[in-house]
Amino acid sequence: MNISQILFGILTVLALVSALGVVVSKNPVYSVLCLIVTFFAISGHYILLNAQFLAIVNIIVYAGAIMVLFLFVIMLMNLNAEVEPQKSKILKFAGFIAGLCLFLVIVAALKNADEKTQTQATQLAGGDIGLIKNLGRALFNDYVLPFEISSVLFLSAMVGAVVIGKKE
Amino acid sequence: MNHQQLMALLPFMVLATASIVIILLIAFRQGHTVIQVTGFLMMCLVIFTMWYVRDVLPQTIMPLLIVDGYGALFTGLIIFCVLVVGLFSYIYFEEREENPREYYILIFLSTLGAAILTISRHFISFFIGLELLSVSLYALIAYLRTRNNAVEAGVKYLLLAALTSAFLLFGMALIYMDAGSMDFSAIAQKLHTAEQSSPLFLLGFSLMMIAVGFKLALVPFHLWAADVYQGAPPPVASFIATVSKIGVFAVLLRFAQELHLQNNHSIMTIISVIAMFSMISGNILALRQQNIKRLLAYSSIAHFGYLLVAFLPGNSAGVEAAAFYLIAYAVTILIAFGVIILLSAKDKDAERLSLYRGLFWEKPFVAIVLAVALLSLAGIPLTAGFIGKFYVLMAGVQQQAWLPVIVLVVTSVIGLYYYLRIISTLFADVSVAIQKEKRLHPFFYAASYAALVVLVLLLLGFGVMPAIIIPGIKQFLLIGN
Repeated sequence: MNISQILFGILTVLALVSALGVVVSKNPVYSVLCLIVTFFAISGHYILLNAQFLAIVNIIVYAGAIMVLFLFVIMLMNLNAEVEPQKSKILKFAGFIAGLCLFLVIVAALKNADEKTQTQATQLAGGDIGLIKNLGRALFNDYVLPFEISSVLFLSAMVGAVVIGKKE
Repeated sequence: MNHQQLMALLPFMVLATASIVIILLIAFRQGHTVIQVTGFLMMCLVIFTMWYVRDVLPQTIMPLLIVDGYGALFTGLIIFCVLVVGLFSYIYFEEREENPREYYILIFLSTLGAAILTISRHFISFFIGLELLSVSLYALIAYLRTRNNAVEAGVKYLLLAALTSAFLLFGMALIYMDAGSMDFSAIAQKLHTAEQSSPLFLLGFSLMMIAVGFKLALVPFHLWAADVYQGAPPPVASFIATVSKIGVFAVLLRFAQELHLQNNHSIMTIISVIAMFSMISGNILALRQQNIKRLLAYSSIAHFGYLLVAFLPGNSAGVEAAAFYLIAYAVTILIAFGVIILLSAKDKDAERLSLYRGLFWEKPFVAIVLAVALLSLAGIPLTAGFIGKFYVLMAGVQQQAWLPVIVLVVTSVIGLYYYLRIISTLFADVSVAIQKEKRLHPFFYAASYAALVVLVLLLLGFGVMPAIIIPGIKQFLLIGN
């Protein structure tokens, strides 16, 4: 077991535990803090995969911008454990069972995936595709069209937000 | 990217430019009429450029897009629907006097998303197209936010669409893990070499079906449909019912064709079960419905169930049947929503069925148009709906998919009940007049009525002489095959 496997194990456990914490914790502020830990653990995974750019962007965008938004919403709505709406027991139970079913199906499908990927070689051509230089090259050569279309996507999101949010 | 590839993409660039032009017009404080007319001309320009570049097709723009006859056919249908929706939008929004100008930006951006779906051959363009389509739709559904249901419908659609997008991405990731590529044809090759379909691929495709089923409002992912159709402004509802569904169905069909999914027994079972559930639930839920917008929502669930029967064979006959059915369905649903828009009062849409009581004696033209559209939805002979259903049945019978075919026939008969119920309401003798003062320039009413007449003529024309369009569809589908 080499060092990157150990790191992978630690990061995975951290990500899973903190993700569970997001869902389980009664206090919304704890949920948000757990979510930040999850994002950092996932960024660690990206670095292990040699995708530094993705890791940095993940931290800046998610752990930075989006988390601040979350905190603002919690602050403005003054959420805490007491005012949390309680769902009925049956609904919780049904959700639990449905989640377990999905989990079961995914486990069954992923059971043999490991040996398959070993033989079928779903592997990246080189280990350094995640470096910012190569990423930029791919983005502006092969994938320039979807890159432009994503800018249109942001345009539509922006127009939509303005339309919904503007004054009467 | 070479010259010819750029040429092939020209219609899509014009489509993208249309929204920018509208933004600039708004910046220069132009009125609603100018924007409407410009939008209409831009859409005509898109159709013209499609005709102009027809000789360079098919073009593959590696790795993401393929502009072939199939894509051109469905893009053309989408643009046609947008033209009609835009025309109807004018009188609807002009009467409400709420600032309708940003509406056209969002409509064109959403159309671009749907058009990208029809030409995508890669998961990335599939996903971006779908997101572009739905992000604009969130705002469009909640556009008239002062009305009761609009924001509720918008939020419902937003939450469910975001959730299903997550499923779509996860499904794509699993297929990528299995096949090592996100390119449709590369996945097809990988599947071909594998001796048996892997559980990973099956799970991935099922998760993708959740998102696709949501967009097409197939059972059991249909829960949003009635609420959104009711809450959204009628032009937007007709947009969802036509443009968004045509785009998503086109990409699903292309995916299935490339991968030869009809050879995969388990996937075909999943799809035929979804088809049967959609046909049965859609028709049964519509039976007791008193709100015509909700009724059309349930009927569109059932119609996409029928359409999946044409999807089952996976041969060229199935694709032709699906294309014809989609054309007939789009024309019909546009007529139905056009009538709703024409009858809508300033602060309330004409959605209660009781409003339509005795409409024939009040406004014979509108009532007859609506009756023809409903007959076509029910699949009565002499209308395009009948021919479409006939083709779908033929495709199903050729494949000997007996169970879905039987369900199709039985549920069509059930469906007849509620379509005829509306028609009998239209001709009932107690007349409750729909109060509606005409304030706009009569030209726009004339244009809308003319659009309705053209649509009805198309409907009857395709129904009486399907030969005028079937060869065209075949020819289009041959380009690039």
